[in-house]
Amino acid sequence: MSERKIGVYVCQCGGNISDYVDVERVRQAVAEDPDVVVARTAMFTCSDATQEEIVDDIKLDDLDGLVVASCSPKLHTFTFRGVARRAGLNPYRYTQVNLREQDSWAHTDDRLGATEKAIRLVRAGIARTRLLEPLDPTVVETVPRALVIGAGIAGLRAAIGLADIGLGVILIEREAEVGGHVRELGTMYPHDRQGQELISELLGEVRRREGIALFTNAELVRKGGTFGNYEVDIRTRGDSNMTRRFEVGSIIVATGFDSYLPEEGEYGYGIPGVLTLPEFKKLVDASEGPLVYGDRPVRSVAYIYCVGSRQGEGGPHQYCSRFCCTSAVHTDLELRAKSPKAHQYHLYRDMRTYGRYELLYNDSREKGSAYLKFAPDTPPEVQRRGDGQLEVRVHDQLTSQEEVTLDVDLVVLVTGMVPRSNQELIQRLKLPVGRDGFFNEIHPKLRPVETVVDGVAICGACQFPKTAGESVASGLAAVSWSAAMLKQGRAELDPQVATVDPDLCTFCGACTEACPYGAIGQQELGGGRQVAVIDPATCKGCGGCAPLCPEHAINVLGYTGREVEAMIESLAAGVA
Amino acid sequence: MTAALQPDLAERVGMDPSFNPSACMNCGICTAICPLGLRHLPREVFAYVVLGMEEEVLQHQEEVFSCLLCKLCEVSCPAGVHITENVRALRHYFDRNVFHLEGR
Repeated sequence: MSERKIGVYVCQCGGNISDYVDVERVRQAVAEDPDVVVARTAMFTCSDATQEEIVDDIKLDDLDGLVVASCSPKLHTFTFRGVARRAGLNPYRYTQVNLREQDSWAHTDDRLGATEKAIRLVRAGIARTRLLEPLDPTVVETVPRALVIGAGIAGLRAAIGLADIGLGVILIEREAEVGGHVRELGTMYPHDRQGQELISELLGEVRRREGIALFTNAELVRKGGTFGNYEVDIRTRGDSNMTRRFEVGSIIVATGFDSYLPEEGEYGYGIPGVLTLPEFKKLVDASEGPLVYGDRPVRSVAYIYCVGSRQGEGGPHQYCSRFCCTSAVHTDLELRAKSPKAHQYHLYRDMRTYGRYELLYNDSREKGSAYLKFAPDTPPEVQRRGDGQLEVRVHDQLTSQEEVTLDVDLVVLVTGMVPRSNQELIQRLKLPVGRDGFFNEIHPKLRPVETVVDGVAICGACQFPKTAGESVASGLAAVSWSAAMLKQGRAELDPQVATVDPDLCTFCGACTEACPYGAIGQQELGGGRQVAVIDPATCKGCGGCAPLCPEHAINVLGYTGREVEAMIESLAAGVA
Repeated sequence: MTAALQPDLAERVGMDPSFNPSACMNCGICTAICPLGLRHLPREVFAYVVLGMEEEVLQHQEEVFSCLLCKLCEVSCPAGVHITENVRALRHYFDRNVFHLEGR
């Protein structure tokens, strides 16, 4: 066995580990192990002070391997790889051992057992580290161009941002016209500008930029290529049915949402005078003076909130759409400006006019609109009486559960956003779809527009219900993400990928078939012998191919067969 | 029983321009803090006015006149409702419409 110089750091995690594991005993147990040069414990190994201590140890003792036994590798692998890099140690000669999620938190009732397990886990980490070889990231050149799918307000604004930061843009829109839902909107809060006006302005800006190629009636029909060098096929319909191929470095999905469409009979939907909020907004926006419906002036309106939202256990739409309370209250004020005498009743579950939108809610109340609160188990009932009068009955929770009957000219169902049906695009890009049907980011706070699919980001309301402003903000976040990735012209990829030993490979094809990323191809060696070859830029290092190889010719770097066997032997040492 | 609504009730009650029951956001602090433990005044009675439920307002005459106008609720109100002024406006409404004390 080779002589190695390994540093081992056992973390207390401020009690998260040390309350249930005797970390000092763990340290003592491994301190005398072969190849261990330094063994320490620390209150918080991730603290700046301890990180610097590790850097000093690595330099002073010329360490060539590092083990930190602390929390999940998901949290701090990159932290301690950074420590290694700063000290001049190859970052892939670092192993993180999970003593928290996989030991202390799981065995809070068994200190002795947890301590014994910790010793074995740390020894397994040391066993792997002994065998780790230095690795260097795979470097790929990237194409300075992005594909934006969907030319609504988020996609249009993202395209402009990308062009201004110096990236080429392919902007595609499935419909004949750009602008999506915002194009249909009238006066918007707080700047009082028309949706159509905003879209025209953005479209003008798009046209002014040579770096943006806009295709309407267009769809993505294929994605190929590798990280930073994707090939996309765009098909346009209409007069010119044709498919064009582009190379892009990143893809931004901005496909938007659909409005919830109530079922026939849901809160009276289908009865004349019962409208959804988007339908009603169009009427109000189009009205020059006092609102007229069916040749009669509208004197009273009842809004019913949360239609198709917050449906509870088992419902397809359990989430709150966030924007609809504000949109309904804003529409109330728009109507008040045109029909000041109209009585407006709002039947809500919980009022969620967050942030500055609260001011709209105050304004609406103080101008005289009435707000009634209903419980989800006693929803309002809508019917048309024999005399043709629309009637809404509701139990008002803000008074003593009074049953109130509202005779109104119009009932407005305040509907939310639902995910758009986009099955083909989801399959082509392998987009991650959440349980609510919207697309998922990697981390809602730290990586809010990236997806688990390399090179693909999401923005706008395809991710979750958003206001126009929030959609644009996420679109610009996707621009920054693209720029950070593509402006350097090159990207570093994780080198922990699968490799084939050509001396052992017989090219049976098992690995090629199993690879979910299409990373494994065929290569001819001298003498016409065929072997498998793995593209390191496409491989994700999942390891799915390695156990299938009958010749044991495939190893994942950083988790080679020898390394994994050494870990298992160490974990099981002394167990009969 | 289903209530009959009088949509102009708030205007008829609110002679005083500072009458602002619709500023109420229904948090309920006023009811919780009332030293007399008035259950319906001010929040619910104000809600009846805003909704136009005149019958229900009339049923709470005793509470409207029991209020001490101590303002404990008003200084605690997060929505800036002029509670005592509103109660006085309600008293004027009773004076005019129930006791027919014109000119007061």
